[in-house]
Amino acid sequence: MGDQIARAEEFEKKAEKKLNGWGLFGSKYEDAADLFDKAANSFKLAKSWDKAGSTYVKLATCHLKLESKHEAAQAYVDSAHCYKKTSVNEAISCLEQAVNLFCEIGRLSMAARYLKEIAELYESEQNIEQSIVYFEKSADLFQNEEVTTSANQCKQKVAQFAAQLEQYQKSIVIYEEIARQSLNNNLLKYGVKGHLLNAGICQLCKGDVVAITNALERYQELDPTFSGTREYRFLADIAAAIDEEDVVKFTDVVKEFDSMTPLDSWKTTLLLRVKEKLKAKELEEDDLT
Amino acid sequence: MSEVFEGYERQYCELSANLSRKCSSAGLLPPGEQKQQKVSEIKASLDDADVLIRKMDLEARSLQPSAKAALLAKLREYKSDLNKLKREFKRIASSNADQASREDLLESGMAGAHMASADQRERMAMSVERLNQSSDKIMESRRTMLETEEIGASILQDLHQQRETLLHSHQKLHGVDDAIDKSKKVLTAMSRRMTKNKWIIFSIIGALVVSIIFILFYKFSHH
Repeated sequence: MGDQIARAEEFEKKAEKKLNGWGLFGSKYEDAADLFDKAANSFKLAKSWDKAGSTYVKLATCHLKLESKHEAAQAYVDSAHCYKKTSVNEAISCLEQAVNLFCEIGRLSMAARYLKEIAELYESEQNIEQSIVYFEKSADLFQNEEVTTSANQCKQKVAQFAAQLEQYQKSIVIYEEIARQSLNNNLLKYGVKGHLLNAGICQLCKGDVVAITNALERYQELDPTFSGTREYRFLADIAAAIDEEDVVKFTDVVKEFDSMTPLDSWKTTLLLRVKEKLKAKELEEDDLT
Repeated sequence: MSEVFEGYERQYCELSANLSRKCSSAGLLPPGEQKQQKVSEIKASLDDADVLIRKMDLEARSLQPSAKAALLAKLREYKSDLNKLKREFKRIASSNADQASREDLLESGMAGAHMASADQRERMAMSVERLNQSSDKIMESRRTMLETEEIGASILQDLHQQRETLLHSHQKLHGVDDAIDKSKKVLTAMSRRMTKNKWIIFSIIGALVVSIIFILFYKFSHH
């Protein structure tokens, strides 16, 4: 491993020399780029991610001088992958530069994919607002490129985070949209009830009982089979429990649904919020009476 | 030979005295474990006495007819004695047994009902248990089915994505095909130009060489 580092350092020095010195026929940038590439590879093998990342960045600048934007963008992506292991912010900045280059070249689908990666990095850092921004951007690009599944996936994430941040209307709209689109597709229609369930839960979080019943009717129209599903019954029961302001019934319904299919953490958080609201309303009622 | 008989006789006498003593004492005892014990003892001794008498019988018959008659008479006496003892014993045992059977009767009057209901309760518990087990199994299978459905839906989503990727790559391949055609044309144009340039250069070199030769030729011819 030690000799890898030594080799890498050697390559890097040679490349720097080439850059600084005079090259014959102006091929110095190409040779330098080549040497940088080898150096960065050796750094990666030696697991010194920082140095590898910085070398890749230098490589990218060489390619930019050579006007090969595609190569430069690729080098930025490589450097971002190296930085992912050490400092996320560096990685994000590299990816952003790569994305800009890709957009200039016109490779929008690759740009969209890397935007999604940036958003996921933000998600892992729990920076939810930025994550939403980037997921939205990548969803737009995917939509433009007609890659509907990836677009839907990104939009789903947006809706998830929006609901966590209490932007319920936004996520309701997104979930309903996704459900409508999925109905036409033979492959996706089995996921529709999952989306409608999510939309229903967001409606519940908003707390408007009339809207919930309207929404349930709407979903009924959208998808005739929805009323037969357990999800529909679950939502209807919860709506009834909220109407009667009965926390015990609410807990019972949730427990029953949970015993069949375990609820994931997102749903649990949202349902907990609904329950808190219900309890608060109950206490309020008691106070008034 | 009658010594053997006498030997048996003596044993029998001892045994019968013993038995009569035991019977009287057992008769006085209240029903209980001690009595049961005594009763079993008496029974054992009675069995022994039976064996003895049989042996004596055999002995007596194997003897000569003169002694036989006398011995057989004695034997008959002993047998009746033994029978009396047996009757005595039976009386005692039966008084025991009477009590025991009376108890049995009275007991089974109530315990019969108890036992019947306990039996029924047990059966009901078992069937309830079995029902619970089967409903648990049904719930479990339903849960598994729902999980399978979810997995199926996610697989379909993946398939959809892959389908789109495949379609895209199909389109891209068409694009690549076109690009390759174009580049082929460009390359042929380049190669044509290259050959053209080569010929031009060759021709210029040729012309220069020819002109040099002419000049030299003229120079030398004019000399």
